[in-house]
Amino acid sequence: MDYIFQTEKVTKSFGGLVAVNDVSIGVKEQSFTMLIGPNGSGKTTLLNVCTGVLRPDRGKVLFGGADITGWASHRVYEAGLVRSFQIPLPFLGLTVLDNVLGAMRNPGESPLRAPLHRSWLDHEQDNVDKALDILRRVGLARHWDQPSFALGAAQLKMLEVARGLSAGAKLIVLDEPIGGVDPASADEILSYVSGLKAQGLTFLVVEHRIDIAAPFADYVYAMDLGRIISQGPPGEVLNDPKVIEVYVGRDEAC
Amino acid sequence: MTTGNGAASRASEFFLRREVLITVALLLVLTWLLVSRGVSLLLTILIDFAIFTIVTLSLNLEVGFTGIPQFGRVIAVIAGAFAVGAIPGRLLAWFMGLPHGLSYAEDAVNYKVVPQLSEVLAGNAFLAVVFFLFSLVLAALCGAAIGWLASRPAIRLREAYLGISLLAFGDFFMWAGHNWEPLVGGTTAVFVPDPFRIVWGYRFQAVVITMLVVTLLIYLYVERLTRSPFGRALRMLRDSDVAAGVSGKNIVRVRTQSLMIGSALAAVAGGMYVIYTGTCTAIGFTRLTWTFWPWAYMMLGGIGSNAGVVLGVLLLTTMRSIITVYRFKLFGFLTVWGIDPLWLEYALMGLVIVVVVLFMPHGLIPAKVEPILPLGRVKKALERTAQG
Repeated sequence: MDYIFQTEKVTKSFGGLVAVNDVSIGVKEQSFTMLIGPNGSGKTTLLNVCTGVLRPDRGKVLFGGADITGWASHRVYEAGLVRSFQIPLPFLGLTVLDNVLGAMRNPGESPLRAPLHRSWLDHEQDNVDKALDILRRVGLARHWDQPSFALGAAQLKMLEVARGLSAGAKLIVLDEPIGGVDPASADEILSYVSGLKAQGLTFLVVEHRIDIAAPFADYVYAMDLGRIISQGPPGEVLNDPKVIEVYVGRDEAC
Repeated sequence: MTTGNGAASRASEFFLRREVLITVALLLVLTWLLVSRGVSLLLTILIDFAIFTIVTLSLNLEVGFTGIPQFGRVIAVIAGAFAVGAIPGRLLAWFMGLPHGLSYAEDAVNYKVVPQLSEVLAGNAFLAVVFFLFSLVLAALCGAAIGWLASRPAIRLREAYLGISLLAFGDFFMWAGHNWEPLVGGTTAVFVPDPFRIVWGYRFQAVVITMLVVTLLIYLYVERLTRSPFGRALRMLRDSDVAAGVSGKNIVRVRTQSLMIGSALAAVAGGMYVIYTGTCTAIGFTRLTWTFWPWAYMMLGGIGSNAGVVLGVLLLTTMRSIITVYRFKLFGFLTVWGIDPLWLEYALMGLVIVVVVLFMPHGLIPAKVEPILPLGRVKKALERTAQG
C-alpha cells in the first residue's frame, strides 16, 4: 500500500510558540490512522495546516501525489480531502439535513443554474438519499428537519462526522469524532467508519479516548509538544514508555 | 416528535395571525389614504414600495443570506442611477446628432437636449421600450461591476472593518458625482429622457405598474435563487466561513457572486428611480435614504426572510408617507415641546431599529429554517431510504 497522504517536516508557529515542529507523517491508502497526544500537543494545528485552514511556515503537505501545501480549503476539498472539527462548527441557520447536503457537490451551486430548479433538483434528490443514509448511520435521521442549533453537544459531533463522510472524499480527517459520545455508540460509529475502508476510504483520526479507538487503528502516531514522539502499530505505541510518560507522567513524579 | 410539530404549527399560526393583522391594518390605512388624499399619494407609496423592495431584497441577499455587513448599499444604487443618468441619454443624443460629449451634462445644454430626446421617445413606442430595457440592463451591469469592485476589500476585511469601508465608498461615490459635473451634472441635476411620455396622461400609472412588475420579477428571482444549493452555500458562508471552506465552498467566489448579484439588483432600482423622477441628482443619493432606511426595513421585516422584507418595506414606506403628508397637521403639537416634526421620519427609523432589536430581533416574519429541497420530496426520500 502506498501513502495517500504525507507531511514532510511541517512546522507552524504562532509568535514564539512552535505548535507543530518538524512533523512528518504518512497515511497509507485504505487505512485507519490515528493521531494521539495530550492537550496542546499540536494535533489540531497539524490538521489545520493539512486542510488549508492555516498555512505552514515550513514543510510540505502531499496528497494523492500532489503538493497541496498552502492550498485554500475548498481546493483541498476538491482534491478529495475533507475534515471535521473538534469543536463543531455547524451551520446554525440550516437544518440538520442541509448541513450534510452542504458538504456535497451540486450543479445548483452556480448562481446561473440556481434559479432553474429543474437543472439541479434530481441531483439534489440523489444527495438527499445519501445524506439520509449517513444521518441514519450516525443516529441523527430523526432530527433531519430540525435546525442544527437544536442539537446537543454529542449530536453536533455526529453532525460533523456526517458532514465529513458525505463529502465523497478519499481521505477523511476526523478531529475527535467520538468526544462526548457514550462508549457504546462510540464503538458503533467507529466500527461503521472503519468498515468504510473497504469502499476505498482512508481515515486519519485524532482521538483522546485511546481505549475505545485503538482497536480500530492500523497505525498510530503520538505527538507531544509539537513533535512526533512515537509511531507504529497501536500495541507498540501505546506501550512505548515515552507515550506512557506524556499521558501518565514520569516515574519520579508518581 | 408530535409535540415538536404541534409547537411548530402553533408558532406558525401565531406568525400567520400577526402577518394577517398587519396586512389588514395596512390595507385599511391605504384605503383611508386613497379616500382622503386621492390616488396620487397611493401611487407615490407604491413607487417607494417598489423601489425600496428591490433595494432591500438585494440588501437582504447580502446581509441576511451571506452575512456581509453591507453598509454601503447606496454604492450600487448610485452606480445604477448614474449609469442611467449619464449613458442612455448620451447614446440617444449621439444617434440624433445632438451634443453628447462631456457637455451633455452641462445644465445649459442638458435642459435643451433632454426634452428633445423625450419627444423622440414619445413618438416611437418601440424605441421607448428599448430605451427603458437598455437602461435597466445597463444599470444591472454597472451594479454588478461595482459589486465586483466592492468584493475586493470584502475578501480581506472582516465585519466592522468591511462595514465601515463600504459606508465610506458610498459617500465617496456620492461626492464624486456631486463634484464632477460631466458625469451627472454635478451640483445641478441632469435630466433623464422619459420613456413613459408615450402614455402621457397616464404616465404615473404606467410607471407604477411597470415598476411593480419589475419588482415582482425580482422577488421571484431572489426567492428562487435563495431556495437553491447556491442559497444554501450563501447561508453556509454566513454561519461559518471556515466550515464552508472545508465543505468545498470557494469563500471568495461565493462572496463575490453574492455582492455582484445584490449590487446588480440594487442598481436596477437606482436606474428605475431616476427614470421615474426624470432627473438624476448626485447629492440625493445619501446613505440615510439608500442604506440605513433599507436596513430598517429589513430588520423590521426579518433578516434573511424575503417575504418579511416585502412586509417591512410596505409598512414603513406607508408610515413614512403618512408622516410626510401629515407632518404638521397631526404632529404639529410637538413643536410645543420644542420638537420639529420635520425630524419625525428620522425618529421613526431610530425607533424601529431599537424596538426590533429589543423586542423582536427576528423581525415580523422570521426566516424559517427549512430544507432547500421541497418538503414533499424529502419525505418521499425518507420513506425510500427507510425501506432500503
